[in-house]
Amino acid sequence: MSTTTYDQLVAILAKLHDAPADRFTPEATFAELDVDSLTMVEISIRIERDLGVTVHDSELRPTLTLGGTAALIDAKKAR
Amino acid sequence: MPTHSPGPPAAVLCGLAGWVPARVVTNDELAERLDTDDTWIRTRTGIRRRHVIEPGEATSDLAVAAGRRALRHAGVASVDAVIVTTTTPDRPCPATAPAVAARLGLAGAAAFDVGAVCTGFVYGLATAAGLITSGVADRVLLIGADTYSTIVDPLDRANAIIFGDGAGAVVLRAGQADDPGAVGHFDLGSDGAHEDLITVTAGGSRQRSTGGEVQHRDRHFAMRGNEVYRHAVTRMAQSARAVLDTAGWKTDDVDHFVPHQANLRILHSVADDLGLPRERCVTNVDAVGNTGAASIPLALADAVARQAIRPGDRLLLTAFGGGLTWGSCLLTWPDIQPVPADPYDRGDETAS
Repeated sequence: MSTTTYDQLVAILAKLHDAPADRFTPEATFAELDVDSLTMVEISIRIERDLGVTVHDSELRPTLTLGGTAALIDAKKAR
Repeated sequence: MPTHSPGPPAAVLCGLAGWVPARVVTNDELAERLDTDDTWIRTRTGIRRRHVIEPGEATSDLAVAAGRRALRHAGVASVDAVIVTTTTPDRPCPATAPAVAARLGLAGAAAFDVGAVCTGFVYGLATAAGLITSGVADRVLLIGADTYSTIVDPLDRANAIIFGDGAGAVVLRAGQADDPGAVGHFDLGSDGAHEDLITVTAGGSRQRSTGGEVQHRDRHFAMRGNEVYRHAVTRMAQSARAVLDTAGWKTDDVDHFVPHQANLRILHSVADDLGLPRERCVTNVDAVGNTGAASIPLALADAVARQAIRPGDRLLLTAFGGGLTWGSCLLTWPDIQPVPADPYDRGDETAS
């Protein structure tokens, strides 16, 4: 399940952000990927739109990894 | 203007023009005074340059230039009403429209301003259409004009990179609902509970009656970027869907989506949400930035001049702005004389 969510998250990011695809790893943080605050908002909007889960952009902290974000989404889904 | 076939009257677009001031501010020039650079601005906003007025110029100067070109494009010398929609009027009192009308030789016409911040052009279209369908006016000149350079703090990195000055104008005439160019369906809305998200705090009755010294930041335009972004994307998509539903159009019926040119990322997000291919999104934000109430007619003028928009094409206009306000309108592009090759006067600049 978390693999799927992670893949969906990377698909969302790839549409928005110009970082090379090989930098999208489960260990990469938003800060390392140089994701700015407006992109965080856009990611939050698309997680809600595409995955049906509400994750406010304030929850997407710069230190959060992509794997951690996928886990956060899965935890909310399970609720 | 007499009409020869029965049916309810409608407002029909018959003239269009845009104008921007000569002075160009590139991203590199901004980087000289702000902690930013060209790549950062381009990747975050899609903006490469913007035009700004010279000291001493005002919103009405841009409005007159755009209005004169729109009247010429429509081939008309007189109108019954002039509407200026702006957030940056020449003065707090009176409205800017009467002075614009007088300078265009339209003295005697009804003239007033409409304020809906960046949604102003769509609100203005609905107002102009109302004057025509109610029989108050047969022809209306609607001008969206803004000079955000006069309210944005030049050292405000977040906003100084986004906004530019400009004006765009359309002429509407009385006609029939099935005429190409008839502005048909509208969706308009607001949510004033969020008035603080986009604001100039000082200068109005609240601050004047309060008294005391005005803080530097309160004199300038302020925007809570992250919250505005979320509202903009959500409200624009909702408004677009609402007007399409009202008209019985499907997303695929839209040949061109002409949104308020806020920021390229917002436009792409809304287009993606609607399921519209991004290439159907009309944009010139790279060349002029966010020009407030002028942005939709400037984008239209640019696209029509490039013949990207052709007679018979179906358009969805959607805007969002301070207030909060939002609105959408549908129209089919009329068979009017093409706009001259240079869509808006770029003054002395040769486009790079």
